[in-house]
Amino acid sequence: MNARNLLDRVTRVPGVRGALLVAATDGLVVAEHLMDGVDGRAAAALAGSLVGRLARTAREAGYQRPSFVHLKAEAGSVLAAPGSDDLVLVAVVAPDANLGLARLEMIDAASRLG
Amino acid sequence: MSDDIRALTARLADEPSSLAFLELAEALRRRGQLDAAAKVARGGVSRYPGLADAHDLLARILSDMGDLAGAFDAWTSALQLDPMRAAALKGVGFLYFRAGDVIAALDHLQRAGQADPDDPSIPLAIARVRTDVRQQGAPRANGAPAPSAPPPRPPATPFEGIEGGEEGFLLVDGNGLRLSGSLRVPSGEEAGDRVAAQLAGVSREAARATRILGLGSWHSIAVESPEGHLYLAAPTADTVLLAACDHSLPVARVGLLAERAARSARAWLEGMG
Amino acid sequence: MRALEPWVVEPLELFLAESSARLTLLMTSSGQVVAQHGFSRSLDVMTAAALGAGIVASTEELARLLGSSPFEALVHHGVGQSCMLSAFTTPRGRWIGLVVFGPETSVGIVQLFFDQMVQQLVASAPRDSVPAPMLAENFESDLNASLKALFGR
Repeated sequence: MNARNLLDRVTRVPGVRGALLVAATDGLVVAEHLMDGVDGRAAAALAGSLVGRLARTAREAGYQRPSFVHLKAEAGSVLAAPGSDDLVLVAVVAPDANLGLARLEMIDAASRLG
Repeated sequence: MSDDIRALTARLADEPSSLAFLELAEALRRRGQLDAAAKVARGGVSRYPGLADAHDLLARILSDMGDLAGAFDAWTSALQLDPMRAAALKGVGFLYFRAGDVIAALDHLQRAGQADPDDPSIPLAIARVRTDVRQQGAPRANGAPAPSAPPPRPPATPFEGIEGGEEGFLLVDGNGLRLSGSLRVPSGEEAGDRVAAQLAGVSREAARATRILGLGSWHSIAVESPEGHLYLAAPTADTVLLAACDHSLPVARVGLLAERAARSARAWLEGMG
Repeated sequence: MRALEPWVVEPLELFLAESSARLTLLMTSSGQVVAQHGFSRSLDVMTAAALGAGIVASTEELARLLGSSPFEALVHHGVGQSCMLSAFTTPRGRWIGLVVFGPETSVGIVQLFFDQMVQQLVASAPRDSVPAPMLAENFESDLNASLKALFGR
């Protein structure tokens, strides 16, 4: 499955405002499918950096690399599903998004990366 | 003596180790035979000290008898065994309300609502407490308690009575220093300080990400990994709380526990001045 | 962090705080240093400014030859640390930023907050006075004054 198809699957979930494939170490966009108003470059840099720090935190706690991250905020959430080869699938979602479905789609899509 | 009570008494006599004491004590309570109900319930609690139902039942009986301090202790014991037990949360919330501590009352009632969203009495109780707050003016946190009410007791640690307790939670200040709690890696080694050092940066990064992406202030971070779940919350602007749990609990349940621990930590921090 | 002009200080401090950059140099396209962070020796800053300005001039000329617009940024990835060179236009003329950063941050974060700094510099640059062109006869005295300001000695 190519990057475009992976992103389409995620953005079809109700409430998802955009999805990106991010090079985690560099925090740069590899591919993106975004609605207006979502800053893909910022999302890639910030989510990549946060996932990296959470991975270090998890490692210190004796856990392996995270399989899914949900950053919840007042006006929405950032979801991230790390895949192989330093790639992370990131989604920016509205507060009323179907988080359960988005999580399942992202974990499945991330397993197909690389 | 009614037939059902007679039958339950006979069953308990035949099988003293059975859980028939729960039904018997409840039946006695409903009939208003509170002394007998308390005696049966206490017997059950001493036989099954790890059974939250037994503590919960004893608490309800003591509450009916007007022994609110005893009821408070029994519900607290039930919550130590089952932190999301709606009936016990509701009961403790009621007792805090009676004691004039509306903040603690609302806190417990809201947790009860999370634990049992289908219980219609809980939103009504919350509305009742809020009405009282509006009528009385400012919240009467730790106000003068009724003579028979339990005195609100500040917890010795932020995580007292929460599932996982001191072992599964970390409270960290803005500089990445541990304020309370501990965390052991699966191999048994204490990792609290190392994890705490990472958490200050996580909080800053989360705040920055949500601000720049126009999502407002951050509320929580759930991290799933093959070994278990981590859940972060911010009890105050300057602190971060981490809850860690293996896969025995779903991540959403870990989130509920972490939110509860965060509220408890907030109260603990306020109590420390 | 030291800057020759006070209006540069706040945007640069914000960039340093957010990007976790190890070294940063802001200079004009002719290599005159405007602000620096992290350099400990004046010789280093002079050399870095001269080399940075030269590299940007070379790549812009290369872009012109290829018929493309000027490169936005040039990033050199290293093992222990990386380097980004980026030219931008301000009301005070064309400037260049040279940023050295390590694995504690990322090129995405550095670029994101570098762009934010550029926007703030453009917004806060005084419009009423244009700096005097660098003349050959006062070059050495200007350079010495700049280095004294940038290193506090």
